[in-house]
Amino acid sequence: MSDERAIKWSYMDHWRSNGPAGPVDQWHSHRTMSAFLKQIKAVGFDAIDTFDFRIWQMYGDYGGPAKYQEMVQDHGLERIVNTFHAADYDVRNYAPHLPETHENILEDFRVTMGRWSEIELDNIIVMPATLYYDMEPVTEDKLKYSAECWNKVGEITAGSGVRLTCHHEFFCGIQSEPDIDTFYSYTDPRYVSLFVDTAQHCIAGVDPVALYDRHAHRVSGFHFKDTRNVATGDDHRHRPDSEIMAPTTGKWFHEMGTDQGLVDFAAMMTAVRDNGYRGWISVEHDKANKEGGDYSESTAISRWYAKNVLEEIYR
Amino acid sequence: MKDTLRWAYALNQWNVRLDVFVRHEDQQRALKTVSACGFDTIELASGTGRWDNISRPEVILLNHGSHQGFLDFLRRAQVRGVSSVFWDPQAPTEEEEGYAFRSTANPADADAIVEWSKPFVDFVAGVGADQLVVRPVGSAWMTPPLDADGIKVVADVWNRIGERTAAAGIGLALHYDCLGAVHTHAELTGLLEATDPATVGFALDTAELTVGGIDPVAFYREHADRVTHVHLKDTRYADTGEEYRMPGAESTMLKGGAGRRIERWFYELGTEGGLVDVPGFVAALREHGYPGWVVVESDHGGNPAELAMLNSWYLQRVLGVAK
Repeated sequence: MSDERAIKWSYMDHWRSNGPAGPVDQWHSHRTMSAFLKQIKAVGFDAIDTFDFRIWQMYGDYGGPAKYQEMVQDHGLERIVNTFHAADYDVRNYAPHLPETHENILEDFRVTMGRWSEIELDNIIVMPATLYYDMEPVTEDKLKYSAECWNKVGEITAGSGVRLTCHHEFFCGIQSEPDIDTFYSYTDPRYVSLFVDTAQHCIAGVDPVALYDRHAHRVSGFHFKDTRNVATGDDHRHRPDSEIMAPTTGKWFHEMGTDQGLVDFAAMMTAVRDNGYRGWISVEHDKANKEGGDYSESTAISRWYAKNVLEEIYR
Repeated sequence: MKDTLRWAYALNQWNVRLDVFVRHEDQQRALKTVSACGFDTIELASGTGRWDNISRPEVILLNHGSHQGFLDFLRRAQVRGVSSVFWDPQAPTEEEEGYAFRSTANPADADAIVEWSKPFVDFVAGVGADQLVVRPVGSAWMTPPLDADGIKVVADVWNRIGERTAAAGIGLALHYDCLGAVHTHAELTGLLEATDPATVGFALDTAELTVGGIDPVAFYREHADRVTHVHLKDTRYADTGEEYRMPGAESTMLKGGAGRRIERWFYELGTEGGLVDVPGFVAALREHGYPGWVVVESDHGGNPAELAMLNSWYLQRVLGVAK
């Protein structure tokens, strides 16, 4: 593939496979990691994204992020593009809408950026609010406090050359269209970007294409995945999180191109083109193995869809 | 794959029992997976009954209306066409006299088997495929050892069918498998010598030969002029010498572990401990300017999508084949 492409494809770290030890993820062993990376590369992905909490396995099993990235590159992939900072929000000590907890959050990111300093990341992705039930009622003040928190965090990550970007899960405190728009009105575009997850926005009843068009100048990446369901009732209010526990839907996420998918990917890719976006699009289909799904197959079909449908619009 | 060799992928591992690979959307998922792995051509394996709508020629045509209709179905997934169709006339099928259990080793069955080949010959030609790939003889454990006369009986059937395939403009390739009654190097060579090189070729399966105790690289070099089709896969085990004669070897040896707790015989390319010299074999194909299809298989290996992806990675990164 030519480096002249406007778009490259990264694969977000979700995986399960079945082997002699039963169902495992790719971090189970060097062998399962190698098989994972081979499969990602084989179907044409260029790189991977990962989670912050994997850094312990990178240090423990591979000698650190740089050494792990060497393994990624040995399999033909370019690098690790983004990491997802999956924080365990807690209103007692770690909640963006509560200013008294901000110093804990800032210190977390000072430490985190140091851990990743061996390699060059594009984005560190966050869910910018606690779970919905820990933030409601969502007020303008809470949105403003949250924005102030992420402005400061973004300044820290920018100091390491990494963009702080926000990913709005349907069950987090900032998920409705007006709340998202208010939140960005208070954030500093130099330090806080938007990461568009096509399925999460659809589930929350937000049109991801319109959202992207409104905020395109500060969008720093995408999760391209599909869903067949919109959250209803109090789907977004279930502990420990609604992706797992919402009563209406056992499996929220599907690979791109799925039948009855709610995401209009043709419109999305057209918007990506028309807004002149160049860079990485991350593909994911978390929990693809639920209800009989298979990660390998979903991954191959996602890449097939990207190549044969989306790249026909923009590449 | 963009290469001087022609690469295809076999769908056999997706169709592991009669009712699991029937819905067209499931078949499209398999085809898209193969396409995403860089293969735009597939091999089909014969089956039986109304569920085998991507296996049995008559049922495929019922589902898609015509050869072109089936090709249109494949092309929805960006799969361009069919390289080959595998057929085992010894396998019981309701379309062939309703489970008649005929054998190419029985002269009384020859006429019927030649007649049974017709839908396959027509289908292979109709979809523009190259090869009818066949199991030339049943399993060794079911019959007494074949002497030269016995091999000639088998060969005569395939010479007659070879005339039909040649007339239809397609090839006929006899596929060696590790359970077959033509098992040893001498028996296999004898079968090739008893068939007409103008109309009957050999389908060399790297793992099956290795399990059967025959070096695929050496055999290819000896018989390159007869090899018209290739199945490429690896194995970690070889028959100890007589396991293929175990009663019910399909179940007791291949699926039952041969009393050695072997969980699977066939593996993806690049597997640790693989016995097949895959780079050496592919290099030999290139040296001889092999013109046929090289069909990669997930056969009896595990998750078919995972194995297709691992095989694709091996082709791209180890064999240097451009996708």
